[in-house]
Amino acid sequence: MNDDELIMALREQRGTVTMTTPVEQIISRGRAVRARRRVPGAAAALGAAAAVAVSVALPPGHPAAGHPAASHSAASHSAASYSAAGHPASGPAVQLAAWTVTRRADGSIQVTFREATDPAGLQRTLRADGVPVSVTFTGHQNPACHPYPVSGSQAEPSPGQPFGGPMGSVVPRDFFRNPKQSYTTPYALVINPSALPSGAGLQIWTSGTPGAADNFQLNMSLVQASPQCTGS
Amino acid sequence: MGSQRPDFAEFYREVKDECLFAVVVSVGDRDTAQDLVAEAFARAWASWPAVSRHPAPAAWVVRTALNAGVSRWRRRRREVAVADLALVADRPAAGGAAGGSVDPRIMAALMRLPARQRQVVALRLFLDLDTERTAQALGIAPGTVQAHLGRAMAALRDDLVPVWQEENQS
Repeated sequence: MNDDELIMALREQRGTVTMTTPVEQIISRGRAVRARRRVPGAAAALGAAAAVAVSVALPPGHPAAGHPAASHSAASHSAASYSAAGHPASGPAVQLAAWTVTRRADGSIQVTFREATDPAGLQRTLRADGVPVSVTFTGHQNPACHPYPVSGSQAEPSPGQPFGGPMGSVVPRDFFRNPKQSYTTPYALVINPSALPSGAGLQIWTSGTPGAADNFQLNMSLVQASPQCTGS
Repeated sequence: MGSQRPDFAEFYREVKDECLFAVVVSVGDRDTAQDLVAEAFARAWASWPAVSRHPAPAAWVVRTALNAGVSRWRRRRREVAVADLALVADRPAAGGAAGGSVDPRIMAALMRLPARQRQVVALRLFLDLDTERTAQALGIAPGTVQAHLGRAMAALRDDLVPVWQEENQS
């Protein structure tokens, strides 16, 4: 095999991946990028924006059948901070997806974090996608949740390390810290709900100081599913 | 949106897949690559008047995505482990559920290359940039591009050709 044949074989791989992000989502994000450039400190202000709205791209409980992927996302409406920064309120509204939940074709759920806001919306969306979950971004765990008993394996993640035990099946991807810092390069994790042990759910919570990007962590663990904790 | 920048959507449709592929083979993870490329396209939209005049806007997108990946790595202060080649080959994100699948043997061979060689391969072979533009995009000398490409091709040949020959014989 000569170099030309090798190059041809490599280039044949080009058609094997497809960018599935809709152009509308790219442009929406582009608007946010542009607005942030225009408004110094806008990104920081967004995290503490008082007015937080939820923008759901698709109705809750969307059917996955027949659709390769569907996304829900949360948006931070920054009109208030825009005005507070001294710019005309008539300027373009800014919408930033704080997180996006996407059902993948294999049934797993991808969560992309850009900002730890609207935990209730994230919890509602994940539950609608079949993940028994508790989400809190208050700096504390949900007191109604109790750890799922796991013997001889690792129930909670070590940052940057593959999970062990059942958690490794439920969340097969590396789990990243400091989601606030991921504002421009969102962090993603993949949840495989079908791998949850019987009677188990997930708890996602923040620790550290919400709003302080350098002292802020996103954590996840297996918990005992219950109506008070995971909704079922 | 369309009235302001009617050609961005067309540009996106035309090059999004090849940009994604170039970043996938550079970072080794499809989902991470998609996030990085989406962010890079968003930045391209935000600077579209300038980016659209760039001699190779797709290369701008790929380079921006790779830079964002480096920034992410620096923040994390660790790199996603890809040393375990079996893991790389098995990693669904290298291909992905929703976006197709790269041949795991080719992906593993690419992952065995040093990062800079992978980037050169991505831009030269998969984005079809010439040596000069690849050098500009990566901020290195054209001679360095050629050297990286030569080493990368030799390594890929050593890695893949025996496998393919064995396949053909069986």
